[in-house]
Amino acid sequence: MTRVVLAEDAPLIRDAIAGLLRDGGCEVVALVGEPAGLRAAIADTRPSVAVVDIRMPPTHTVEGLEAAVDIRREHPEVGVLLLSQYLEAHYPLTLFGADPRGVGYLLKERVSGAGELVEAVRAVAGGGCVLDPGVVALLMGGRRTGLAVLSEREREVLALMAEGLSNAAIARRLYLTGKTVESHVRSIFARLGLPEEPDGHRRVLAVLAHLRERPFQGWP
Amino acid sequence: MGVVAEARARLVWPRPLVYGFAGFGALLGALALQLKAQHIQRIHHLGLRLDGSYSLAGLVLGGLGGFAFLVAGLLAHARRPDNRVGLLMVLVGVGFFAEDVQLALDGWVHSIGLLLVRAADGFLVHLVLAFPGGRLATRPLRLLAGLAYAAVFVLIPIRALFLDTRRRDLPKPNMLMIADSDRIVHGLGAVYDAIGLVVALAVVGVLVHRWVRAGPPGRRVLAPVFVTGVLGAASTIASPLWLELAWAPRIVFCLLPLAFLVGVLRVLLGRTAVGTLLAALREPMSAAQLEAALARTLGDPSLRIGYWRPDAQAFVDGDGRALPPITGTGDGVTLVEPGGRRVAVLVHDPALREDGHVLAAATAAAELALENQRLTAEVRAQLAEVRDLAGRLVTAGDAERRRLERDLHDGAQQQLVTAALALRTAARRLGGAAEPQTAALLSAGVDGLDAAIGELRELARGIHPAILNDAGLVPALQALAERTPEPEVRLRAASVPRLPAAHEATGYFVAAEALTNTLKHAGARRVCIAVEYEEGVLRIEVTDDGVGGADVRPGGGLLGLRDRVTALGGEFVLRSDPGHGTSVSAAIACRP
Repeated sequence: MTRVVLAEDAPLIRDAIAGLLRDGGCEVVALVGEPAGLRAAIADTRPSVAVVDIRMPPTHTVEGLEAAVDIRREHPEVGVLLLSQYLEAHYPLTLFGADPRGVGYLLKERVSGAGELVEAVRAVAGGGCVLDPGVVALLMGGRRTGLAVLSEREREVLALMAEGLSNAAIARRLYLTGKTVESHVRSIFARLGLPEEPDGHRRVLAVLAHLRERPFQGWP
Repeated sequence: MGVVAEARARLVWPRPLVYGFAGFGALLGALALQLKAQHIQRIHHLGLRLDGSYSLAGLVLGGLGGFAFLVAGLLAHARRPDNRVGLLMVLVGVGFFAEDVQLALDGWVHSIGLLLVRAADGFLVHLVLAFPGGRLATRPLRLLAGLAYAAVFVLIPIRALFLDTRRRDLPKPNMLMIADSDRIVHGLGAVYDAIGLVVALAVVGVLVHRWVRAGPPGRRVLAPVFVTGVLGAASTIASPLWLELAWAPRIVFCLLPLAFLVGVLRVLLGRTAVGTLLAALREPMSAAQLEAALARTLGDPSLRIGYWRPDAQAFVDGDGRALPPITGTGDGVTLVEPGGRRVAVLVHDPALREDGHVLAAATAAAELALENQRLTAEVRAQLAEVRDLAGRLVTAGDAERRRLERDLHDGAQQQLVTAALALRTAARRLGGAAEPQTAALLSAGVDGLDAAIGELRELARGIHPAILNDAGLVPALQALAERTPEPEVRLRAASVPRLPAAHEATGYFVAAEALTNTLKHAGARRVCIAVEYEEGVLRIEVTDDGVGGADVRPGGGLLGLRDRVTALGGEFVLRSDPGHGTSVSAAIACRP
């Protein structure tokens, strides 16, 4: 059974999320409302996953993000799923760092979606990576002419790779065979001029790095 | 209290009194010279050995020295009637001649002369201690002068009561003698010498202390007396060693009144400088130039001017910056208040007070220029305040936006998420039991709430993007570029440190507003946002290849941007020739 610590300072939402997790077959081992309590609960209960709200007391800015980064560093065996109001690429990429394993970033409203939260908790508990589809859509915004070389189907596959899905999961999601997905993936990497990566966290990293336009350093 | 009032408060010695003393001194001088000449003649006649002071040359030099004190004192008094130094110099002359009265052959005159054999010393000590201001400023100085006077006018007369002058080379009767006692005479003489030594050492100490403490203006006045004093001391020590120098101390004594006179009359040099100042003031000058001109005129490089701000009830410098509060009105602080209306304050070396006339004259000469500078400084100070106010308004506006953004996230959005969760839970609990229509309604409700959450998020982001505060300007601009689908937005960013919130927000809104304008009006294919922070200046520029022709219109977004940048003391430039694209740039100085 997946053991979960839930950190969320709004009691109504906290209780609702805890209910969802329990209904989904998770064991909620601790409910906390601020970063210090979260750190203590992680050290005490050693859960499989910490579900953390990005905004927590005292300043309600990024205390949750900082706590999540700390947990990943101090307890690499604990998966971290960040719940956020912000549709921004900056926060998840800060959290993921160079090692997007056992980590996830979901917009808060996903908790009301059918099973999305529990699915994400399970994926993170299993060492996977979860990135909110909204953030992926943002990264794949139409302005990037580089993506025009891909077919519509390939763009769908690329988005799901960015969300952290494995080939098998992509195949299930798009009702395709595993072989078809594999050939799409190869084609995508070839057309974007990226070195092919095996199915896993390194692939997520390569895809995100490609999608994330970095600012130029220095003047032209 | 103004300079003029200060001068009025000083005691002005009546001119006839000083002239009277000087006249009396001149008569006494004539008498003394005659007595001395007679004395020398008699010694010569008796074939006795002449000591130095009773030689012909000694007679001439002594007469010159005494009359020099009288004349120099009169001149000093005529120039500066409010200063007691002139009177004291006259009194030194009088005392000097009085010392020779004892040479008289007449018994009573000789006897009275015996009371006055050290008269000059008391006045000389008083003069040195009171120079150059004419006042004994502190209690120890008054005690020291009192001690000298007591020794000269009490101890010496008492000693005279026991002095038998009949046993001298030139015997004369002492009519005042009550007993002939060598023991008392020698004892009192020793006490007098001891007091003399103490007073001399104390006076030297006071003078050295003054010299060390004095600024350039003070030293300018003290210098002649000091140089003469040092020459006198040196020649007194050296004369026993080299016979050629035997006359040097007497010559230096003759120079001493001149030295005092020069010290006192340095005011005349000051007056010339005031004339130069008046000429210089005809040309318009800056606050710094005015300060330099006054400092030059008064010979005090430390002089500073503060200008009065009636609205703030405080002094500011020429640039309108607040000065530390100026407390009291000590000797180093001179308020300029023509007609009782406060204009400025001069903070200067306290020694300038000794030249009260020059200070008053220079201040009066500069009154109009000071008033002009005061107005300028006041306007500058008000301008700086308005600028500060504008900056504070921007900062306060940003804080308000940030608060609004947080309230939306923590309030409305949480409520919507909670409501959506409740609906979803209800739908799940109903499961297959719900009618298809009910299930569809519940699903539509959840979708509607999700859409509302999305719109609320974009609204909050537009008010104030949280990422700006959380991560800084460059990540915020990157996010801005990322969420602009068309046209292609490129970001060129040199490394920019975290800057004050108002400056980061201004940089962000310049880019966001310019980008919005481009999207609405320019029809551009490419937009470039460039940001850098170099040498304390944040620069941001948004360039597009659109149709151009944008302008700063009332009520337009660009006007708001310009106001915002200007409020932070920055520069805002819009270049948008029709057909040549648009470039919006801002440069704001700020520190991380």
